[in-house]
Parts: sequence; structure tokens; C-alpha cells
Amino acid sequence: MIIAKNLTKRFGGRTAVDHVSFDIPQGQVVGFLGPNGAGKTTTMRLLTAYLPADEGQAELAGLSVSEQPLEVRRRLGYLPEDNPLWEDLELTEALHFAGRLRGLSDDAARAGRVKAVVKSCGLRREVGTKVGELSKGYRQRLGLAAAIIHDPEILILDEPTSGLDPNQVQEVRGLIRELRSQKTMLISTHILPEATATCDRVIIINRGRIVADGKPAELAGNMADRNRLHVELRGPQGEVSRALAALPGAAQVSAPAAGESFVVESPAGADLREEVFRLAVRADWPILSLRQERLSLEEVFRALTKDP
Amino acid sequence: MKNALFQSHAVKALAGRTLRWYFDSPSAYVTLFVFYLIIGYLFSAPLFLVKAASLRGLAEFAPLLLAFLVPALTMGLLADELKSGTFETLATLPLEDWDIVLGKYLGFAALHLVCVAGLLFYVVVLDLCVSPAVGLDWGEMLGTLLALALTGLAFGAAGLFASSLGRTQVVAFVTAFLVCFVLFLLGKSAGLLPGSLGTAAEYLGLDSHVETLSKGVLDSRDLVYFASLVFAFLYLTVQRLQSRRS
Repeated sequence: MIIAKNLTKRFGGRTAVDHVSFDIPQGQVVGFLGPNGAGKTTTMRLLTAYLPADEGQAELAGLSVSEQPLEVRRRLGYLPEDNPLWEDLELTEALHFAGRLRGLSDDAARAGRVKAVVKSCGLRREVGTKVGELSKGYRQRLGLAAAIIHDPEILILDEPTSGLDPNQVQEVRGLIRELRSQKTMLISTHILPEATATCDRVIIINRGRIVADGKPAELAGNMADRNRLHVELRGPQGEVSRALAALPGAAQVSAPAAGESFVVESPAGADLREEVFRLAVRADWPILSLRQERLSLEEVFRALTKDP
Repeated sequence: MKNALFQSHAVKALAGRTLRWYFDSPSAYVTLFVFYLIIGYLFSAPLFLVKAASLRGLAEFAPLLLAFLVPALTMGLLADELKSGTFETLATLPLEDWDIVLGKYLGFAALHLVCVAGLLFYVVVLDLCVSPAVGLDWGEMLGTLLALALTGLAFGAAGLFASSLGRTQVVAFVTAFLVCFVLFLLGKSAGLLPGSLGTAAEYLGLDSHVETLSKGVLDSRDLVYFASLVFAFLYLTVQRLQSRRS
């Protein structure tokens, strides 16, 4: 598990991370979202004890980051931003080196782990290739493989899919999905479908502060101040409009395009779909489509992180 | 293990990796070639010019040569990791800063010591050239090689510190060269400085220590001098890495 309590980091006069608190239980996969420069990387650097916090504390796997940084790092796999790698090593050499530095000093055991991560990260085809000659997708897999070489309980991944093409993004996402059953993960990204696709929960940070925290669907629900129901219905327009407006809970009805489309607005939390269905059946107005409008995570993100 | 200054497995892994890194890059070969070429010249010149098997000239000039060559070998040690971002990977592994510094330093030290040991070949050739009746002054020979080895080790520690200052290798090279050159110059200028200033310069400068050693005299004060230089620069490097994290 990962616990952050009022984490704060200042660089000169600028507060990069401002009293950030969250609590990630064991086994949860959390997407850490925010625009560039919001404080995602700095927060991750505070959690990995790369940078000391100016205020607040962090705990990983029950250990204090500031007091037991080495113990914390033993239980942690971290993929830094831009995935820096030792370019001159061969792929398995790089993994052996990472393993050795992680304290896997027994040759046979380390070789076993290297073999396992080469397999699980789909790197077999590239064994024998120098790191500097790997494609971006394979570099990213290697970065992940090196981060899990010691089978850590916690994974912190800083933009694991940035700069990849859509196929590579799918591959890396697949990898993360395979790991999710066993690990607690914090994954930063500014690509939103990424978070919806891979994470149980998202935390959105802007200007160093947390602005939202919850399940992707919940966030969208919380953000919407009212419901909009799009109804496409074949019937006399004026009559349909009046009947829809008369439904209990309907606040406003509009017909944006002339003809069969109507939008019924109601207070947040109300769901008029069943009422509309019954009305249509009673009046014998065939329903062509019925769609409850939901804010996408993208809209939530934009609303929360746009410049004032 | 928790409170140890360093962890031997990590130091060993990093030192091995550093040594590998040297042999993967052409710059190390070029540096070694220049080293053997110039030292070879300094070895053989007195032999042919004045027909003496002496290493006086070598002991005098070699520190200056090392002041050029050692920074070339050390400039990338940390600057390269800082530039490529792999320093963040290192710094978020379960490693102490001392592990990183010692690992890097010992990798360099191994290369340097192997190079100096390679000079034994010259000594053997010299021995073959000298008439058996006269014989070679082995004390002088081995003392000079030891002086070269220790000077290089001290310069290497200074070079590693310079390499921790930033991402630019050129800055690391120039800074390291300046530090080494000042150490070299201090010894040379000791005679020109008055009173206790001269005495201080003599102790801090390389010259007097190299001279004693190259005469074949093993004095613990000289060994302490070189060991203190190495420790001081490694300590500064660790401090520098710690300050980078705030």
C-alpha cells in the first residue's frame, strides 16, 4: 500500500507539490492524472525517496519513506519518466545488472528471474540486442522488466506509455493488466483513455494539489451538475415536448434539431429513462434512440485542470 | 547491512559495470594509447639519450600527463548518468550514495592500476637492456610505478567529484584538470613561497611525495597523503550527490 500525508515540495518559491494526501490499499491500480507540470513526477520522486519532502510523510508497504528509504526501495519497482536505460548493455545484461544492484546476488536465482521477466514482458525476440538498438516499445518493456526483476509489491510507473504508437500502447497496457492482480500500482499519465482502461481509481492533480480522487465513472457523475437525456422519438413534436416536460423530475425539454430529437434535462442523480419508455409505449410513439449523457473522463479532466 | 556505509554486492556490480563501460568506448582506448605512448617515450628517452636507466624524468613529468589523462577517463563517470537520466534509476535503487561513488571509483581504479601494472613490461625491457654488472635499481623502478599509481588514484577521486558537479562532461574534465594541475603546481612552487606557506605547499603538493616514492623510499606519510586525497574527494562526491537530491 501507498500512503501520502500532506506531501509538500517546494523548488525555490514555487510549490510543486502542495499538501498531497492519498491512501492506496494493497492491490489497487491507481491512475495519477494531471497536465504537464502538475506535480506528478515530483510526487513520484517523493514517494521513491529520490527527493526529500519539505513537509508531510509518505509510507510504502508500511515503511516510512524518509526513515527507511532503502527498505522502501527494496519493495518498490520504479519506472522513471522517459525510461532512462544503460544503452551500451545487451538486453539480458541490463536485466542482470538491475538484478545485481537489487541484491539478487545468487547467480542461479537471478538468471531465473531474468528468464521470467523476459518471458512475461515479451522480450524474448530481442534477447541479444543492445539496449540502444531497441525500438521504443521494447525499451519500455525492458524498463518495466527491470522494475519488476525483484518481484516488488509496489510499482510506480511514470508515464509508461508516453511516446508509444497505439499498438505499443496496447502492448504495454496489456502488460500492466497482467501485473495488476499481484501489485499495488501508481501509474502517472496524461493520456486519459489510458487511465479508464487500466485503473481502478484515478487521482487528478493540478498545480500541485489533488483536485479529484475516485473511480473514473464516479468522478464523471460527481462533476455533472445535471443529467441530460437524449431522446429520439417519432411523434407530433409539440405534443411530445409537452409530455416529456410533464414527466416527474424533468426540468427542461428542448428540441435542438427540428424533428424527432429531444433533450430532457433533470437534476443530477435523476434517471428518467424508464419514465420516457413508459410514456412512449402509452402514446404509441416509437423510440428510435435513448441515451443518457455522461461526462467523459476527458471532460472531467478539462474542467478540473483548465487555467482559470 | 542496514547501517553499513556501503553494500559490497552493489559496489562490486557497479565497479564491474564501470570497467565494462570503459572497454566499450573508444575514448578509453585512445586515452590508454596516449598513456603508453608518452610513458614509453619517457622510459626510453634517458636510455638512448643519456644512456642511463633512470626514471627521474618520468616521475617529474608523469603527474602532469596524468592530470590530463585521468580527467578524460573520469569525466563521464557520473556526468553521463546525470545526463542520460540513469542516475535517477541508480538513486531509486536500494543503494547508498557511497555504493554508487565507491562502485564508480573502484571501476576506474581497477582500470588505472591495470594500466600502471602494464608499465612493468617497460621495466622488464629496461632490465634486459641494462648490463647485468650494473643492474637495475628496482627500488626506484617500483617506487616510481607506485607513485604513478597513487597519483592516478588521487586524480581519479578528484575527477569523480568533478563529474558529479553537472551533466556536462567538458565541465567535469576542465574542473578535474584544474584541481589536478593545482596539486601538481603546488609542489613545484613550494620552493618559491616564503616560510610556512612554502611548507604547506610542499605537503599539499604532489612533488615531494612523488619524489620520495620514486626514490624507492616507502614512507607512511606519503601513503597517508594520497589516501587522504582519495577519501576527501570521495567524501565530497557523496556530499554532492546528497545535495542533488534536495
